[in-house]
Amino acid sequence: MLMSPISRFPMALGGLRLATLMALLLTTFTAQASLRVAASTPDLAALVAEIGGEHVTVTSLSRPNEDPHYVDPKPSLVITLARADLLVFNGLDLEIGWLPPIRINSRNSAIQMGGAGDFDASRHIEPMETHLESNRAMGDIHPGGNPHFLYDPRNGARIATALGNKLAELEPEKRAFFVKSARAVADKLMTLAKQETARFAALKPEQRRVITYHRSLVYVLDWLGLDRPMTIEPRPGISPSPSHVARVLGVMRAQNVRTILQERFYPTKTSETLGRLANAKVVTLAGGASFAKKGELYSERIKTMAEAIYGTLAR
Amino acid sequence: MPGLNLRPRRAPHPYASAVIALIVSVVIAPRAHAQPGASDVKPATNEPEDSLLAAESPAGLEDRVRALEEMLQLMGTLEAPAGQPERPAPAPRTLGGSSGPGLDIAVALDTAAAWFSAEGLQTGAHDPADTGFHLQQVEISLGQNVDHLFELRAYLVFTQFGVELEEAFGRSLALPGGLQLRAGQFLTRIGRLNATHPHGWSFIDQAMVNGTFLGSEGSRGAGLEVSWLAPLPWYVNVIASATDAAGGASAISFFGGDDLGIETPADLLYTMAVRQFFDISDDVGLAWGVSTQQGPNSTGNGNRTEIYNTDLYLRWRPSNSPSRMSLSWTLEGMIRRRQVPGDIRVDTGGYTQLVWNINPYWEVGGRYGFVSGSPEDDLMPEATEDRHRVTTQITYRPSHFSRLRLQGNRDQPLYRDEPIWVGMLQAEFLVGSHGAHDY
Repeated sequence: MLMSPISRFPMALGGLRLATLMALLLTTFTAQASLRVAASTPDLAALVAEIGGEHVTVTSLSRPNEDPHYVDPKPSLVITLARADLLVFNGLDLEIGWLPPIRINSRNSAIQMGGAGDFDASRHIEPMETHLESNRAMGDIHPGGNPHFLYDPRNGARIATALGNKLAELEPEKRAFFVKSARAVADKLMTLAKQETARFAALKPEQRRVITYHRSLVYVLDWLGLDRPMTIEPRPGISPSPSHVARVLGVMRAQNVRTILQERFYPTKTSETLGRLANAKVVTLAGGASFAKKGELYSERIKTMAEAIYGTLAR
Repeated sequence: MPGLNLRPRRAPHPYASAVIALIVSVVIAPRAHAQPGASDVKPATNEPEDSLLAAESPAGLEDRVRALEEMLQLMGTLEAPAGQPERPAPAPRTLGGSSGPGLDIAVALDTAAAWFSAEGLQTGAHDPADTGFHLQQVEISLGQNVDHLFELRAYLVFTQFGVELEEAFGRSLALPGGLQLRAGQFLTRIGRLNATHPHGWSFIDQAMVNGTFLGSEGSRGAGLEVSWLAPLPWYVNVIASATDAAGGASAISFFGGDDLGIETPADLLYTMAVRQFFDISDDVGLAWGVSTQQGPNSTGNGNRTEIYNTDLYLRWRPSNSPSRMSLSWTLEGMIRRRQVPGDIRVDTGGYTQLVWNINPYWEVGGRYGFVSGSPEDDLMPEATEDRHRVTTQITYRPSHFSRLRLQGNRDQPLYRDEPIWVGMLQAEFLVGSHGAHDY
């Protein structure tokens, strides 16, 4: 179709038209070209998408109600990684059971360790529960620190700032946009953090006592000033024995703990039994932003989480 | 005796003491160094903690809010170009951390007790072979990125019979065009099971067809592999390798124990595979592989062997299931054509298995395996007729790093009068750096 009209024109004119067409195509292509970002968790995906706006295309490698320690390393994820300009991952060994093999198999040098598109979020926060000497008898602990730091929007703000710089590094011509956008996101998160801290601080001390299932919520406890006398898991990743559950129940009754917090991807049976016996309410939290399905923002998801916790504590 | 076939072609015993010394020095040294500080470290146990809030006065809470306000201001004034200083990588850990320049080291121990109703006919080199206790293997894996271009992985296997090099290869990390190279000794990519290590298996023993057609140690050898990730919307990995065709336990259908040497490129063993993956839904995945091996065999006169393999792996894993349950079905079938003087022998074999991971602690599985037999078989003269084997297992995992597995086999070689009943109990322990498995 394209060739026949061109062939009727003199060569020079035809060549000119072709060149114009190609230039046009190229411009369109460049204008649409955005950074392809693969994020290991939906929270990180939501953060990058909000900062990058139309300049990024973000895929989350895991889903919000999936335990981020145990994602299936599906070969389709290899394809996502093979085409990514940037890999944003949580770090502190959260993804150690599934990310390394698909990362290597992607053969994408940009996102290998030390590549231009290698972004380890944990390098930009101050981790809690670091263990100089770790031992598996303590359970499934992460020696570098507790990896669930994105439950705290103050860490979200730090990572947003760093992500803005990383995006700007990859596309220097859009630097001003990325940096400004990242700062706006970080400011919003810090405001949210402050508001919620103040709101929770107004609760009575006994209202601020909770039991959690896993040690994954330490950053939430720190941010919202909550007190957690015990966790349902005796050691991280180890399911509770009846005697441990009995001890938790004793502590809940003695200290009048009326709230149990856990993510949806942990078993709820024990929590519900404890809730019934100790007259406590179980709050199940999303493990991350509903990014792929609803385009939920990270700040929205954090706000929803704080709201759910506050509503239960304040009842 | 299959036990004698365990050993690799080149006897590794002279290396054994050196390897042990190396491992011991690497593993022990950091431990010893870390010992004095160990008592200072607060373990992550979950003792009831003193109530923090009871001690915290209203003034303390005000401090907390004030600190946040200060941080907010700090964030606002942050010079964006300077950004935040990147936290340095954590210091190398005592035993092979994932980050830092330390070596990743992991040790896997598989040990078993077995009972056989009659003389066993196990085909895998690390299968419990008769009634009694068996140290199946101690696998030591070592590895790390070499630089920005390569990584090195080595898997050393210790048994009661000595030390063998299961795999040791360098792999490229940054070749363009979706290409990847491996050089060294590696398990070839024929079929699905062959490239995996025993602690990744769903059963205590190797699938019968693998031991019979590929070798009691699986198909492996020194060589070079190139693989290409096709630029298609779905996963298509095309793999080709050339390896050594000799090895009584690792290339039984080829040169096997009679290395006739290499005169032309046709005297190498070539493996080709195409592996694809289809995301059927968020929770269901299907992996499909077709592969073949072509190489010379030991009957001389340029006689050759061809193996054709196809494998399917269908996995259902509801990603939002708190019990982390999954159901996996595997089917793998092979056809082998061997040129022998004056004849072409065709054998078939395969297995199918269903494994249900009920929750992180419990798993059950069943497997049926089949290998054809013929009176002319010179490789296994006893196997004059077909052989069928049915296997069931139940597994308990107290944690991610240990497991107990109870397995029963009903092994029916039609050339025996009676089926062989087998009971096995296996314990597996993993220490060191956290491993990751392929899909």
